[in-house]
Amino acid sequence: MIRTLKPAGILMSLALVISACSGSAATPVPSISAPDTESNAPASDAPSSDAPTSGEPSGSLSGDFTLWHTYSSGAGTELDALNEVLEQVRAANPELNLEVVEQPFEGVFDRYGLEVAGSGGPDLFIAPNDSLGQLSRDGTILALDDYIGDGLSGTLDLAVEGSQVDGALHQVPESLKAVALYYNADTVDTPPATTDELLAGVENGDYNVGLFGSAGGAYHNFGWWGAFGGQLMDETGTCVADQGGVAEAHAYLADLEAAGVTFYPDFADLSDAFKEGEIDMLVDGPWAAGGYVEAIANLGVAPMPEGPSGPALPLTGVDGWLINPNTEDPQMAVDVALALTSPEAQEIFANTAYHIPAAESVAIDDPISEQFATAVESGLVRPQNVELNNFWGNFGNALDLVLATGADPETTIADACAAMNEANGK
Amino acid sequence: MSAASADASLGRPKGTRLPRDARTAYLYIAPALLVMAIITFYPLLFQVYISFTDFEFRNLLPNNPANFVGAENYLRIAQDRLNIPNFAFMRMLAFNLWWAASNVVIHVIIGVGVALLLNQPGLRFRRFWRALYILPVVIPPIIVATVWRNMFDTRDGVINQALIGLGGLARIPAEAFEIDWLRAPQDILPLMPLAFFALLIANTWLGWPLNAVVATGALQSIPKELYEAAEMDGAGAWQRFRNVTLVFLRPAMLPYAIYGFVITFNLFYLSFFMTAGGPFGKTELLVTQAFRLASQQRLYGVAAAFAVFMFFILLAITLLVNRAAKATASYDR
Repeated sequence: MIRTLKPAGILMSLALVISACSGSAATPVPSISAPDTESNAPASDAPSSDAPTSGEPSGSLSGDFTLWHTYSSGAGTELDALNEVLEQVRAANPELNLEVVEQPFEGVFDRYGLEVAGSGGPDLFIAPNDSLGQLSRDGTILALDDYIGDGLSGTLDLAVEGSQVDGALHQVPESLKAVALYYNADTVDTPPATTDELLAGVENGDYNVGLFGSAGGAYHNFGWWGAFGGQLMDETGTCVADQGGVAEAHAYLADLEAAGVTFYPDFADLSDAFKEGEIDMLVDGPWAAGGYVEAIANLGVAPMPEGPSGPALPLTGVDGWLINPNTEDPQMAVDVALALTSPEAQEIFANTAYHIPAAESVAIDDPISEQFATAVESGLVRPQNVELNNFWGNFGNALDLVLATGADPETTIADACAAMNEANGK
Repeated sequence: MSAASADASLGRPKGTRLPRDARTAYLYIAPALLVMAIITFYPLLFQVYISFTDFEFRNLLPNNPANFVGAENYLRIAQDRLNIPNFAFMRMLAFNLWWAASNVVIHVIIGVGVALLLNQPGLRFRRFWRALYILPVVIPPIIVATVWRNMFDTRDGVINQALIGLGGLARIPAEAFEIDWLRAPQDILPLMPLAFFALLIANTWLGWPLNAVVATGALQSIPKELYEAAEMDGAGAWQRFRNVTLVFLRPAMLPYAIYGFVITFNLFYLSFFMTAGGPFGKTELLVTQAFRLASQQRLYGVAAAFAVFMFFILLAITLLVNRAAKATASYDR
């Protein structure tokens, strides 16, 4: 009996291994088909000969497309706007099947990149443009110059510029984003227009201010640099932050801290403190406006205060739809992106989710959005060069050192700049 | 095959054909070996391979092979040439060793102590206490880290609130207890910022119960006659503990202590979620740094070299401790 069962046992074991290794017909597969040679071509490849070249959506979009977004990570208003836009696009294009997938913001760029590397991933993807340059250099997003045609004819130059990497368009721009000063208008009559006014207001106890103060605060505090005449890189990508202005900006932040500004290491705590009325002001972006509008009855937004060298220069980023090089029909994917960013769609996002439209023709009525539009216009287009990768860690650490240990701003900034240049081989 | 011929085949000299039963046994383990080869050995070998290349994210895409860079990744790590703020390999290694050693010593002492208490005759609700003490182990690690992180919060954490309450009894102002447990940059002692103690407290809460379980098992296996014989020979309580209890605990506790050392050395989630390696990288462990190199810096080649370093460090420690303590040797040898 035992001898009879032995071969059966071996066969069963092998069958288990084979079935475990081969997968099953019932196993769900990614919605993206495996790309053919053509669709797997490098980002710079030209479109197929039968592809339309106008780039203008015809109103008869068709096909199956998967979309990724991270709008559920915000205040919820962006998700509402997206759903409204999707409804309109679907109604206008009955042959178009859009499968929409929410992604948590944390780690989304890695997830996207890994999916693309595995010949999968969504056809279209929208997220903050934190990684536009990196995604382009990785080859995980498509260069769109050959597909866009005159699709961006009514788009702000700033939006187009912010969507380019090394001169090539890599996303269909939807909106512009930069940080500004939120304040509670019930407790702050007039927001400070200058850095001196802000410091004096804190010293006098006129208002409580909170700022993002840990190593993660390099983005939110970047605007102060311009107010003190600081600059990050020259045209060659060499860090020049040690040549004046940036150390002064950090010294100013240290002065603010000494005067009583709370620098929160955790942004969620900072945001909660503002919503709960513990602080009267903070610096944040339009993506958070929905939550603040809900929590603060009389919410105001103003540009970050001007400094001795001029206006604050927060980084202006451009969010847009990225196209996966694995998509089977890149031209149709671009046309879908153009439909999702039409002036009508951008108006919905502007009115519902405080987005600053990338299209010239979309008027902004909301006072909060208007203020952000001002901040965006005066902001500095976020660089997409590879050298920026070595900015965040070094200057986030510098900010933390100045605020947490009282390190000398001049030496700290010089060290951070030297480290950035060394890492970039400059 | 008859029983007689099967018995005879067992006595075959080396170098001759395997007996049929042995061949069948190998056939049985072959599928498992095949699966292990695919999901364990191949990734390990691939990791060693990419540790000698400049493998980055773009190399994941088809037709983008990484370049062979020899030992450059290993040298960059050892010479702190990664251009990452606060990266200092030897300091991190020293902290990691100290972190693991300090934790294990505390866990074993508390674990054995509690096991001795629970082993006392006449103790009521013994099974309840044992079940209660094991509870920390079954809580998901991310929840443990998050709860402890919140408990150590400067403004709202229960630790500071309790200290403020206690300090109030002695009329110490509340401001004295606004302790920034997780971010205070100064070292209290070398390699020990305040965040180290916060991590140590959290991991002690988590780590001693399993030591107590192992010690309890070992204690229950000690024949009572040995204690009676020792008592008859005039041994006092300390001598009985030293010459009977400790001797019988050793075979169980030393391997578990080595295991605990390795686990604590690689304990990812407390450092990652409670302190994020801070302040200024002072509580970064090798394993969290390896994760950051792969996940955040996306330097896969360097991260692989880092992991190979970790493997040999742990191997060396295990062999050394094992040899010094003869931990895997049975007490009756």
